[in-house]
Amino acid sequence: MEADEVSIAGDEVSVGEVAISVTGLVRGYGKVRVLEGLDMRVDSGSIYGLLGPSGCGKTTLLKVLLGRLVPAAGEVSVLGSLPGSPGSRVPGGAVGYSPQELALYEDLSIRETFLFHGRLHGMQAGVIRERESWLIDFLDLPEPSRQVARMSGGQKRRVSLAIALLHEPELLLLDEPTVGVDPELRARVWEHLTTIAAQGTTVIVTTHYIDEASKADRVGMMRFGVLLAEDSPAVVMESQSATSLEEAFLALCRRDSGGASE
Amino acid sequence: MNAGRVYAIAARKFASLRRDKRMFGFIVLMPAIQILLFGIAIGQAPTGLDFAVIDESNNGFGTLIIDELDESESLVIHTDYATVSEARDAIAEGELWGALLIPENGSFELHLDNSNQQISSTIIVEVRNAMSDALSAGGGSVPLELAEPVYGQKDPAFIDFLAPGIMTMVCFMFSLILTTMAFVGERYDGTLDRIFAAGTKPSEVLLGHLSAFTTILVGQVAVVILIATLGFDITIEGSVLLLFVLGMLLGWAAMCFGLFISSKAKSEFQAMQINMPIMFPVLLLSGILWPVQALPTWIQPLSWVLPTTWTAEAFRSIMLRGWGLESTAVQIAFAYNLAFALFALFIASRSLKVQE
Repeated sequence: MEADEVSIAGDEVSVGEVAISVTGLVRGYGKVRVLEGLDMRVDSGSIYGLLGPSGCGKTTLLKVLLGRLVPAAGEVSVLGSLPGSPGSRVPGGAVGYSPQELALYEDLSIRETFLFHGRLHGMQAGVIRERESWLIDFLDLPEPSRQVARMSGGQKRRVSLAIALLHEPELLLLDEPTVGVDPELRARVWEHLTTIAAQGTTVIVTTHYIDEASKADRVGMMRFGVLLAEDSPAVVMESQSATSLEEAFLALCRRDSGGASE
Repeated sequence: MNAGRVYAIAARKFASLRRDKRMFGFIVLMPAIQILLFGIAIGQAPTGLDFAVIDESNNGFGTLIIDELDESESLVIHTDYATVSEARDAIAEGELWGALLIPENGSFELHLDNSNQQISSTIIVEVRNAMSDALSAGGGSVPLELAEPVYGQKDPAFIDFLAPGIMTMVCFMFSLILTTMAFVGERYDGTLDRIFAAGTKPSEVLLGHLSAFTTILVGQVAVVILIATLGFDITIEGSVLLLFVLGMLLGWAAMCFGLFISSKAKSEFQAMQINMPIMFPVLLLSGILWPVQALPTWIQPLSWVLPTTWTAEAFRSIMLRGWGLESTAVQIAFAYNLAFALFALFIASRSLKVQE
């Protein structure tokens, strides 16, 4: 009973906390501006679906959140500080990142892959091994000695996802984690994300399967470097009188283009 | 700097290197084959050069010279040409490389096909030696006697000049090739992004790669020095260990520069391409094939920017002069390679840094 009370209290605290807040973010490469004054807010312990066509700036935004790109203008706070600033826990062990590409070493086995990334996070060999058996079981991966090169596309995608989950980070940034994953497993991935979010992990998922994001707590609809809308899937659909997120997104795009041409 | 992360990257890279059997064979075998080929092909004196002697002296001295020339391994002596013009015709036809006229009195004449400098200079040396030997055998005195040299041998072999340079080139070239592609792919396939997301610093990535490659460098440098010293008759007056350490330092300088290329190149193909315009100037400007002192003075400063110039110079001092660590030439080569490596690492880590 006592334990339950504590966890309920914990939940109440985390609901109000903001994991990521972005205001007026501008960033580009050279003369090309990609992010044009973007605002975004992600609550602790929630799943945030970042939607938008390729080239809209999703990956650039993730790189800013990871501290690989310095904002040209605007305020960015991830887990309480500017990523990459002194004392910030991002980049580092607090974040788990799965890039859009598989980003795997083809010649390593699953075990060696986990060992490599576990060591980068300073994990003990025993702990890495425990996580390995759990992740293999959960993501339905082949035996740990299997070389990445000898796996199917879907299996590789799951290994790539597993690396982000390996060190149980409090913030997950997943760039297109469900590309090439079959519907059954995609459902399981989302189920797992929901579970860990309930335990306090903050999750940002980019996807172009727009309807998949209806399982997210909030969605941000991105186009040309800004968010056209940011709210819970239900509210976004309702505001556009749409029956699906995809329909809502198209409506938002039409309005955005119309506004630009006027 | 986090030692655990450097270790993680080094261990991963080493596993990949070891697993790629063909690549592994290539990087260990290629330097060995190159240095072997070099030893077989370059620096030996030419042999079987057809050469005529026209003896008009009709005295013992002419016979003495012919006997001395006959002992030479380079020359095949023909005495069946009666006149100079007959011999010159034969040279013009390509039947002879040269002819020596021993006159009854007056000056000796040497007629040459001077289209190949190495062959001509071999003939000139052989003729000069034969004349000196014949003179002393006949009880006469030689006008110019070559005293025992301070460094080097009386009869210097070209291979002794070239070997230190070629060893320099091989150590440099393979270290560079090995590292230029180190993480070009990783920069574009998201792997490096993930490594950075884990909080890894660029310097840790670089040092990890450098550590893994160093295990191969040890083998490469050892193979190059072992084959050069044991396989061929190359003069080595100084310490082999010192050669090895200096070879390692040059290898590091090249690897760090290779890692810098790796941090800049847009594709693996481009990284390979960048090697080409580096290799050729290094070969030509480092005093490997031809002394730096023989380069135009305006280009010489460029030579001394290259770590290979300092290394070839120091290799030569160690091998031919027997100099050790107490000599300035060797100390400068050590210091310059280290400084070059550190500088290359610095600019490489800057180019992997967070983008402002």
